[in-house]
Amino acid sequence: MDPFNAIVIAVFLPFILAWTLPVLYSVFKQRIGWISALIAFTCFVLNAQVIPYTMAGTPVKGSFNWLPAAGLSLDFYGDGMAVLLALIVSGVGVIIMSYSNGYMSTKEDLPRYYQWLLLFMGAMLGIAYTDNTIQMFIFWELTSITSFMLIGYWRERPESVYGATKAFLITAGGGLLMFAGFLMLRVVTGTYGISEVAQSSELLSTLHGSPLYVAVLVLIFLGAASKSAQGPFYIWLPNAMEAPTPVSAFLHSATMVKAGVYLVARMHPILSGTPEWLIFVSGTGMITMVMAGFMAFRQTDIKAILAYSTISQLAYLMTMYGYSTAEHPGLGFAAATFHLLNHSTFKATLFLVAGIVAHEATTRDIRKLGGLRKEMPKTFIVAVIAAASMAGVPPLNGFLSKEMFYETSLEIGELVSETYGGPWAFVFPAVAVAGGVFTLMYSIKLVDGIFLGHRTHDHDVPHHVHDAPWVMLAPAVFLVGLIIFFGLYPKFPIEVLIWPAYSGLVPDAEHLHVALWHGVTTPLLMTIATFAIGIVLYKFYDSIAAWQNSFNAKLPWISVNYWYDAIVNNAKPIAHKFAAITQPGPIGVYVKMTLLFMIFLIFWPVYKFSIGLGIGVGDLLPAGINYNAQPYEIVLYSLMILAALGAALLPRYLPAVISLSELGFLVSLLYIYLKAPDLAMTQVCVETLSTIIFILVLMKIPQKFKEPMPAGKVMVNLLISGVVSFGVLAVMLNANMGVLAPFETFNYYFMEKALAMTGGLNVVNVIVVDFRGYDTIGEISVLSLAALGVYSLILSRAKKVKGGKE
Amino acid sequence: MNNFFLELTIALLFGIGTFLVLRRDMMKVIIGFGIISHAINLYIVGGGVFSEGTLVPILEHEQALEGLNQGLIYNDNLTAGILGPITTNPYTEFVDPLVQALVLTAIVIGLATTAFVLTLCYRVNEEYGTIDVQELRRLRE
Repeated sequence: MDPFNAIVIAVFLPFILAWTLPVLYSVFKQRIGWISALIAFTCFVLNAQVIPYTMAGTPVKGSFNWLPAAGLSLDFYGDGMAVLLALIVSGVGVIIMSYSNGYMSTKEDLPRYYQWLLLFMGAMLGIAYTDNTIQMFIFWELTSITSFMLIGYWRERPESVYGATKAFLITAGGGLLMFAGFLMLRVVTGTYGISEVAQSSELLSTLHGSPLYVAVLVLIFLGAASKSAQGPFYIWLPNAMEAPTPVSAFLHSATMVKAGVYLVARMHPILSGTPEWLIFVSGTGMITMVMAGFMAFRQTDIKAILAYSTISQLAYLMTMYGYSTAEHPGLGFAAATFHLLNHSTFKATLFLVAGIVAHEATTRDIRKLGGLRKEMPKTFIVAVIAAASMAGVPPLNGFLSKEMFYETSLEIGELVSETYGGPWAFVFPAVAVAGGVFTLMYSIKLVDGIFLGHRTHDHDVPHHVHDAPWVMLAPAVFLVGLIIFFGLYPKFPIEVLIWPAYSGLVPDAEHLHVALWHGVTTPLLMTIATFAIGIVLYKFYDSIAAWQNSFNAKLPWISVNYWYDAIVNNAKPIAHKFAAITQPGPIGVYVKMTLLFMIFLIFWPVYKFSIGLGIGVGDLLPAGINYNAQPYEIVLYSLMILAALGAALLPRYLPAVISLSELGFLVSLLYIYLKAPDLAMTQVCVETLSTIIFILVLMKIPQKFKEPMPAGKVMVNLLISGVVSFGVLAVMLNANMGVLAPFETFNYYFMEKALAMTGGLNVVNVIVVDFRGYDTIGEISVLSLAALGVYSLILSRAKKVKGGKE
Repeated sequence: MNNFFLELTIALLFGIGTFLVLRRDMMKVIIGFGIISHAINLYIVGGGVFSEGTLVPILEHEQALEGLNQGLIYNDNLTAGILGPITTNPYTEFVDPLVQALVLTAIVIGLATTAFVLTLCYRVNEEYGTIDVQELRRLRE
């Protein structure tokens, strides 16, 4: 198949087939999970078709018209990095969906579960292959939405809802920041295309020289960091563990959290190569790596330990991508990409083990578990191998990428200390070793806490625990096979996946040689040191955890969660207070506020303008005012004002209404003087009708209350009215200063066309009926809606009376 | 519009209407809205007089034919979606028909809203026994 078609089908197939699941469910019932796994497998095969092209160094590229008016198209770009992520997503997808067949109870709402899994997978594949920032943002937020639905899958549990909301607020909020960064990138480079910018040295030098560069970098990195739970944004990931375990394995260890890392890799050619890149990306990564590894100690839930370890491992990736700069690509990029693949294998396995243990032993609390190795021998072996790979024990794949990590930290340390001086040559490797030590310690704790030691006799754990059924075990065993295979034959993944990804995004990259045995090198010594320190410190594991607990109890505000809760929980009361201030009460206040604001809007520019031109307020009156008027005009105007005053001042309703209708008829008289006979006729009809309605209503409203009008209030209202009056007069006097060119009236268009196009001689009628016919339909609808409203308002009363409520 | 006294009248109507809208009595508020809507309509129609026309925009047949015979000043082609550019107005003797057409709609919709608001007022009085806006707010809380 044409590789471009394969990419497009792989992205859209999950979206399309997800909607057929409810139908398929009625046929296949519980076997629906296998159907979803089959869909994921199809995507995997489609993705694999692109590998030959990426290995040959010819990325697949193509686009569709999408929103041509906005200059947007759907761009797809399949290079090595994209294929690597797509293979991880679809491959882990197959494993997770198969595993779910054993994990999910048949009583669950299975179509909904698999539907969201598939939609999520499609969105992730979209992120992998997208080549345009707008499209990237859309798929990015789609993953946030689908993960929100999946974390909150058990809707009735408040913890699930809390975790889902938290994840959504943080990741989708970060996505919005990223979007702002993308827009700035577009402002600087003039294009939405990602590979277009990455491959144009001209655009890149423009970007790096631009004052917006740091803003672009920070905003995009904030998006990536929130998605990958880096820095202070890590808090959503532990709460996301409320999701079903296969979902955690899929989203929160293997795929979605990688999206941020993937974005950093994708942006690497565009943004890297500056001190800012090193500081933000690897600085955040290093701090997160050590902090999260350390905080993992006080967790007691297996999945929470895994969550913190995921945060820490993702920080490894961030750090390594940060180390790698455009001028000195070094090994960082390749090491990070290799670790990305390895992390997906061992962390997904560990999550699957956690699911098995929770499923069989009915608890995930590590204090209640222990000594399960005899009862669950197969699970035990799987867990040991995965944990050893995470800890970096040879000859597993985790060892290889950790060696590369140590090597890059040595490299970058030397580079930085050569450029800037200082103890950096020592600091970078030391931080790396610290991260490794913590990883080793919680890896040991996982195996030790669950499988070693003696059985605790907790009443939550059943007496007889046995190994998982093959449906759940087989996926884990398969992943362990990969761990060992990648460890023993690193040439295969490196040549097929890592090298194409590396060389596609880092030009002039040196070819990679990864082998188990390099001889005695500094990284190997660092590994040995890591093991030695880790094993010694492991004795103090529990006391460190106890110290952390007491520390947190003493200083609760030190935790980011404390601030998150403070902000989110107080949002509603603060909104109430805000509303109480801005919406205090009677309508009169709003009207006064609006009017005062409008007065300000009119007078402030006039004032500023007149100052600028050296005009006094008295000069606001234009020169050529026409004071000429016929005597009958003056009489008409006086009568109108008298009528309006009567409507305003007469205390009883009936005289006031009569006065108002008198004003209406005078207005229609004025229309005749203004050469508007159609208006005059309409006005007479309408005025008659509305007077009748007024009087009908007046019959039902007795004038029971006399409004008290204290002098102060009258003064304020008179002042406002006077200012409104004066404002209107000033605007109208200046309205005839001259017709500006762009605002020339086009009435003569209608004059010219009326007879020719419609055969009508009355131009006003022709406009209303022919030229603006749709407007008139709208007007009639307004009339009918008002009539319906009146009818139902009156009827609602009648029903209540019949119901006997009053 | 270059007629000072008409402008003054409209401005005063605006002021009186505003004064009424600020009252607490719901009936008075509705009357105020009525006055303001008259003022707005007059304002717009008055704007149409600035072309200094003296004739009502109803064509005599001869005039229209004469216009046709003079040759169209608009070379528009509706099937192709092309409208001719705006050129200088040869019809200076007519009052602007466009503002009249706009106001015609406004008058009719004004009737609809007046009727609706009045019915609302009537129902409010029935439900709460008062049409004092402040009193209503107090009752609702």
